[in-house]
Amino acid sequence: MKNRWKSIAISPWIAWVGFLSIVILAGLIAGLFVIWKGLSVTNLTDLVPWGLWITVDLSAIAMSAGAFSLCAVVYLLGLKRYQPVARTATFIGLIGYTMALLSLLLDIGRPDRFWHALVYWNSHSLLWEVTMCVMLYLMVLLLESMPIFARFEWLQSRWPKLAKKMSRVHHYAPILAIIGLGLSMLHQSSLGAVYGVLKARPIWYRPDISVLFIISAVAAGMALTVFVSMLSARLTKRVQVDDALLERVSFFVGWILVGYLYFRFWDALSMTYTYDPGRTEGLNLLLSGPLAFNFWVGEMLLGILVPMVLLLNSRTRTNPFWRMAAMLLVVGGVVAYRWDTNLSGLLIVLSYLPGAPVVNYTHYVPSFIEVISAAGIVGYGTLALSLGVRYLRIVDHRDIDALEHPQKTATAALIPNGD
Amino acid sequence: MTEPLQLDRRSFLKLAAAGITALAGMRIIQRAQATGPTAEGLHQWAMVIDQSKCTGCGYCNMACKAHNDISPDISWTEVIDVGKVGEKMIFIARPCMQCAHAPCVDVCPVQASYYRPDGIVMMNYDRCIGCRYCQVACPYGARSFNWEQFTGPNPAVPEWGQPEVPRRPRGVVEKCSFCYQRIDRGLALGLTPGVDAVATPACVVACPVGARTFGDLNDAASDVSKLLSNSVSFCLREDLGTAPRIYYLPASSEVRS
Repeated sequence: MKNRWKSIAISPWIAWVGFLSIVILAGLIAGLFVIWKGLSVTNLTDLVPWGLWITVDLSAIAMSAGAFSLCAVVYLLGLKRYQPVARTATFIGLIGYTMALLSLLLDIGRPDRFWHALVYWNSHSLLWEVTMCVMLYLMVLLLESMPIFARFEWLQSRWPKLAKKMSRVHHYAPILAIIGLGLSMLHQSSLGAVYGVLKARPIWYRPDISVLFIISAVAAGMALTVFVSMLSARLTKRVQVDDALLERVSFFVGWILVGYLYFRFWDALSMTYTYDPGRTEGLNLLLSGPLAFNFWVGEMLLGILVPMVLLLNSRTRTNPFWRMAAMLLVVGGVVAYRWDTNLSGLLIVLSYLPGAPVVNYTHYVPSFIEVISAAGIVGYGTLALSLGVRYLRIVDHRDIDALEHPQKTATAALIPNGD
Repeated sequence: MTEPLQLDRRSFLKLAAAGITALAGMRIIQRAQATGPTAEGLHQWAMVIDQSKCTGCGYCNMACKAHNDISPDISWTEVIDVGKVGEKMIFIARPCMQCAHAPCVDVCPVQASYYRPDGIVMMNYDRCIGCRYCQVACPYGARSFNWEQFTGPNPAVPEWGQPEVPRRPRGVVEKCSFCYQRIDRGLALGLTPGVDAVATPACVVACPVGARTFGDLNDAASDVSKLLSNSVSFCLREDLGTAPRIYYLPASSEVRS
């Protein structure tokens, strides 16, 4: 990307923003078209009612999991030096959740009634619980991001008092971290359970799916945080990162992958025993059917095994290229997992007629409109992150105290580089 | 964060978090246990479909489409060809099972699907947000999403009857309602659903061979109660524990559930 930017006369930043703006504009037009024409413009059917957008939604929430986990590391485990990394993750989380809300808004048949879940409670529904947690957690993320927005120079010069007040929200960070941890543990797992509680879909109907969802989310969330931090530091000199911190987080991601693989292994292995109508066929979709490439290459090889080795081996982990590659692979693997989870259940049509259960297959490929609008949502997230890096210094591992408490600048000591 | 406060605050926060989590957990489990079929009302409507009589003519479906003003793209009571027993073609008509433990009611985030006291699993079309979780959860494929607004004339009207309920808007999920409008109106007029045609679901009335029987399980003298106590019947996917209120009588005496 860097090379291409250099060949363009206008500044790479403008080109990047321009490119993202075009993607967002296309997505916006596609989104408005969906709202206008309804969901008949998608390739979703009564058999496959959830598709690409639900994957965007689930992936965006998974990638936001760095926020709660790193905030817990900083404020609950007391590892304060990771605070700058947690700040990056918090902003990514804020953007991720808004992305999820955008894709849900497209996905529901009546976007004008999106607020119904907040008013008409069915506390027995996991989707209700997820909606409530997401809304509440979005507020937590907004509060947690206040000190980040307070760093906006324009705001500081225009409304210095407001900026000061916003940065003071920082004092509530430990409480917010606890609330965030509780809400995230609930809904990150519940997103798996949304699938896991459905007896009608045997491939999903198992308790471990919620555990797998939260573990993979923490891996993806931390991975994206490290990746964004490293990429920003490479693209602009304004961003200063403490590589030792990122290296430690990466090492941790490597170990999470070990745990994730462990659970995935037993989860998958147990499903291979005995024929269970619907479940066995769903598993076959993953192991040898149309989802097999996604599963073996996307999820297992590139999503778990390769990055696990790259991140646990200190030589590749300390190499910026391999570390960044590993992080990107983790993110891709988790997106593939969400896609595969959704489709392995929906592509199987289990007959309800008496006698031996008959299993049929259906298929789903997202429509052009679905792809463009999903790209628009991803473009929005990317643009928001880029603006955050540039104007809110969301990736900045320099003297944090001095930046967050300007009055103390004189006395604040510089954080030594590394540990 | 000042140093001396740190320990106290931290332990307080830990306690608070544990307390809140425990309370929330207890509440969810309580709700989970409390949610099931609602307290039984005066009537418990059920339908018996006799496979030995059904000829697969599809009149039930057409009457349903007319009386409930359903789009030609959607069937609330699909009639499915399930093969042959001897020389005879066998069909299964599949309306909404009106489950006593309905997965759709469990999962609906806004209680747009709910139990009526008389056992009917109802849809509140004004509340449905169109998330389609109920469709994903229903084991019977009994739910249809309105991908498009149904406009223009209904091809089933007037030949098969007149619409009795408003059309559903685009973007909500719809399904068989046991013709609640006929039941409610009939009861208000002092009629007996299952006996008086105008108080009975349209599919039951339309069936030319009398394969469908409708009535009150709470009334031991009703046709459904008698049929169910005198003959072998089965429900679809009983293993799922959904407790359907649609019972089938097998096509031949050799076929058992």
